[in-house]
Amino acid sequence: MKRRTVALLSAISAAALFGAPAAQAADPVKIGVAIAQTGPFAPAAIPTLNAYKFWVEQTNAAGGLDVAGTKRPIELIAYDDQSDFTKEATIYEKLITDDKVDLLLSPYGTPAHFALVGLLERYKFPMVGSTAASSQLKKVKPGNIWFTTSAMPDQMGPELVKMLQSLGLKSIAIAALQSPFPQEFEDYVKAALKGTDIKLVADEQFAPDIRDMTSVVTAIKKANPDAVLSLSFPQQSILYMKAARELNLDAPFQLVLIGPTHEFFAKIFGANLNGIMTIGHWSPFQAKWPKAMPFSEAYTKRFNQPPDYLDVPLAYMSCEILAQAVAKAGLNKDKLRAEIASATFDTIDGAVKFDGVQNVSTPTMFLQIQDGKAQIVWPKSEATATFQKKSPWAN
Amino acid sequence: MDTLFSSQLLVAMLVLAAVYALIALGLNLIYGTMRLLNVAHGEIMMLGGYVSYWAFVKLGIVPLISMLAAILLTAILGALCYLTIFKAVVRNRALAARLESNSLLIFFGLSIIIQNLLSLSFSADPRSYAYLDAIIPIIGARVELNRLVELAIGAAATAACVIFFRYSRLGLAIRALIQQRDAASLIGIDAEKINLLVFSLGFAIAGLAGSLVGMTTAISPFGGFSYTISAFIIIILGGLGNLAGGLLGAVLLSFVEIYGVAATSSAYRSILVYGVFIAILLVRPQGLLGRKSA
Repeated sequence: MKRRTVALLSAISAAALFGAPAAQAADPVKIGVAIAQTGPFAPAAIPTLNAYKFWVEQTNAAGGLDVAGTKRPIELIAYDDQSDFTKEATIYEKLITDDKVDLLLSPYGTPAHFALVGLLERYKFPMVGSTAASSQLKKVKPGNIWFTTSAMPDQMGPELVKMLQSLGLKSIAIAALQSPFPQEFEDYVKAALKGTDIKLVADEQFAPDIRDMTSVVTAIKKANPDAVLSLSFPQQSILYMKAARELNLDAPFQLVLIGPTHEFFAKIFGANLNGIMTIGHWSPFQAKWPKAMPFSEAYTKRFNQPPDYLDVPLAYMSCEILAQAVAKAGLNKDKLRAEIASATFDTIDGAVKFDGVQNVSTPTMFLQIQDGKAQIVWPKSEATATFQKKSPWAN
Repeated sequence: MDTLFSSQLLVAMLVLAAVYALIALGLNLIYGTMRLLNVAHGEIMMLGGYVSYWAFVKLGIVPLISMLAAILLTAILGALCYLTIFKAVVRNRALAARLESNSLLIFFGLSIIIQNLLSLSFSADPRSYAYLDAIIPIIGARVELNRLVELAIGAAATAACVIFFRYSRLGLAIRALIQQRDAASLIGIDAEKINLLVFSLGFAIAGLAGSLVGMTTAISPFGGFSYTISAFIIIILGGLGNLAGGLLGAVLLSFVEIYGVAATSSAYRSILVYGVFIAILLVRPQGLLGRKSA
């Protein structure tokens, strides 16, 4: 377990050098996080950490974190959980008891969030979650943890079927990764299909270590569906895309769960990504959210790559929520808890308000890559573009 | 049933077999000659993949050329690894007795070092690029050109190694060392020289495999482990240290992964792979072409 202090104490330095107001030279606010910086989840988790660092940099550059009217610099204490979720509670306990952090940021992924529920409850330490998505989360006792995403399987399943119905699609094929999130999503899609005129014509499952999806896509193509769901994580999403292109799978609706909004995905597939659907509830092209595009541009400039449209916004939103709550309530845990639970927050993803543990303001949405940009195409009330049938694969 | 006769599946299996054969060959060489369990094999592959990625993105050098640099770099790493760590360990009689288990720990350490160095240099973000991705029609299938290149180079490199081991003096010396280490030394084969060569060759083949894999999928510092697992399955299936057995294991594993899945369901992929693996080891504990220990 390696401690990495990303202390950007520019505000303190500036105060020392140029005699800035005393309030800016206050003690730093310590914010702790443990996240996978090495190990198998690191590639997926690093963008989340980047979003945290970016927020800290921006906040410090603007004079520090507003703590009930007093600006204080942020010291970010980031540990590596080595992609081992069993270490999560131990590291966060160290952050609370040993490092004596004032605030916590959330780790990466649903299991890591789950692992912290008991600890947060024990220490009555409020934490705003980010990259956790499971309908099981709704069973968590409200009070010290909140979940920002609306990409919850139990909401996405019925919403997706609603979208397919509105497009007049009659058949669907599902290929789902044997992993909790895709499986849960698949279950809710299947449940929502009951009583509709959409027929499930192929139902494939695959293991995470699959190396080639030609067999899977061959079975799907044979069923000739109108809609295909590849409920996969990035590595398998690449395999699906390659097999679909080679087999010239021409379903007009093709959804790939995780991957299409990542930069490395666009680098492999280029124009072939156009028309591919994916999950997410954020897009910089949504004019209703004035902070979205400036965030996207600044993030791209800082990291030399655009943010993905799910994890990075979620991580950044969790920081925005925390910052706005601290500005009102300060660092007192009881006041902070009450503020997070009751206030409405202005984020890059629009207004966020919690009911219990869940964000009830942000609708469940679906994105489609159009001309290389991820546009919101569902629901219509949030759409930044209209749905287009998947264009033919380029040769 | 007609699906099973599709040329698309056949090409997919051949591509996978070529990659598997190459990966297993490098691992098998080092185990065969020195009984060292190189669990850093996948990370060395990733290193090769990053050489080609970096050369393509930063210098505009195509992977077909930069894979030579990947081979060279990983070969040098292999030589350094042998000269600085394993040469002394092999010479020391006390340590040599525990060589197989110690090598596991040493290579595990090496894998962590490579992972973290790659992560520091390139970040943990997956990296990818598009190269030779045009669709080529072949025997009734549609295949991306980069996958055909993967097949061609993988098969050619494996064939070159087979010819080298069968017909060249040096290759025969390596095989002699694999089969009868003590007897080979008695007839004047310089074991240390061969060990150095095998280390370089084993690492270089992994580097080449990584360069090829990086053309068709995303690579990341932590993406090598699953390839190491596959390589171990293949060489155990074929018979540890048996190069022809490794080839057979690669074909068998890719057959199970492609045709086994097509005949049943992709949900059974792991059950099929490990089921066949266990079944073969029950019948032939020494692997398909392995020799029974005396």
